[in-house]
Amino acid sequence: MTIATNDVLNALRVVHDPDLHRDLVSLGFIKNLAITGGRVAFDIELTTPACPVRDLMKEEARKAVAVLPGVSSVEIRMTSQVRPSVTMPSGGLIPTIKNVIPIASGKGGVGKSTVSANLALVLARSGARVGLMDADVYGPSIPTILGIHTAPEVDEQNRITPVDQDGLKVVSMGFFMKPEEAVVWRGPMLHKTVQQFLGGVFWGELDYLIIDLPPGTGDVQLSLCQSIPITGAVIVSTPQDVALNVAQKAITMFKKLNAPILGVIENMSFYVCSHCGTKDPIFGTGGARAIAERLEIPFLGAIPLSTPIRTASDDGRPIVLTDPSSPEAKAFIETAEKLAAQVSIRGMQSELTPQVKVTF
Amino acid sequence: MMAEMQMPMPIEIGRANQYDIKVTWQDGHESIYLARELRLACPCAGCVDEMTGQVRVIAASVLQNVVPLKIDLIGRYAISIQWSDGHNTGIYTFEYLRKLDKHEAHSTKQ
Repeated sequence: MTIATNDVLNALRVVHDPDLHRDLVSLGFIKNLAITGGRVAFDIELTTPACPVRDLMKEEARKAVAVLPGVSSVEIRMTSQVRPSVTMPSGGLIPTIKNVIPIASGKGGVGKSTVSANLALVLARSGARVGLMDADVYGPSIPTILGIHTAPEVDEQNRITPVDQDGLKVVSMGFFMKPEEAVVWRGPMLHKTVQQFLGGVFWGELDYLIIDLPPGTGDVQLSLCQSIPITGAVIVSTPQDVALNVAQKAITMFKKLNAPILGVIENMSFYVCSHCGTKDPIFGTGGARAIAERLEIPFLGAIPLSTPIRTASDDGRPIVLTDPSSPEAKAFIETAEKLAAQVSIRGMQSELTPQVKVTF
Repeated sequence: MMAEMQMPMPIEIGRANQYDIKVTWQDGHESIYLARELRLACPCAGCVDEMTGQVRVIAASVLQNVVPLKIDLIGRYAISIQWSDGHNTGIYTFEYLRKLDKHEAHSTKQ
């Protein structure tokens, strides 16, 4: 008995991507379907390598096909192809970047850079091509967190080759200033630096460009949103009220600029005692989740306040690299996967909504 | 509860004729902006007082035959216009453009 291609596809139509709410066949995820006797082989091409439910979908697909009459074995290969959520203007600054994700916070000191670095590393380790741009021109801390001591190459035309660190392409203002030097910059200079980091860096092809923004709602944030179409911003906040109030201001700014918000991350969400394991919500807990729910923004995750995260950042060896099975690293991994899922959802939506066309 | 902002989104921004600008919106509405009127409505800090909102650009000082030379998208929320008189600092948000459309204003009042 021969197995028909259509029978296999119809069987796979019952398997849905839980984030995109559509079946694998109509999403175009099924590739290289080959039927040899009773042996069925195909690829499932996801929209991100950091898919949180990839094993679940694989198992559901296997089961759906295995029950077809005549099928003796099912071989599934999981692949991924990150979809672009934004169309970069042709001849623009960064035409080869598929998704641009600024990480923002209302106030400083909420651990935005640590979160940015760890999220970027999780995405890179999953197999995606990831760039990390440290746009915090006042207090660039990405080089310290990632332990980068080499300066990037700059050619005669002032074009920068990013530093390759643990599979990440990294550019930071910190590479270009002495540690004790302060940056006293006016708006136009900030704008120029952002332009330089976007257009004057050999990013190459990237699935995700993570941008660590300076805290606040000022020139850099504005400049960035005015220069390139961004996929969506991620807001990092600590759980106490003063931080959340300011986080809301950041959310409002992005909304005014018509830049979508991908979600909210609660950092220093709770403290786990290293002696007895008791959870202590030092700054209160759940506040960021409540705000996310109220503003109907996805809640991406809660990262604990913990000594290992702090020491890892100070030593330049982020925790997702040094201790990937620790609860802290798992919190980052889960958060990054949720973020990747949100980016995929945006990508799917932007395929359906028309882009603004200027025919002037 | 903060209401989800429903920003009007254009599909196409192009020419109505050799002087004027036409915007086609996602909801099918079409707006025509006369060149000089749009120049006089420039929202930049030089043309409008940032604190009081008072218009500072003097109409008589703007050429009768001013035309847009180039339009650029700004992020996902606005356009900037290079005018033939050299002015280019105005950022016209989609929201502002939609508000400027007089026909639209009439139809919503009914």
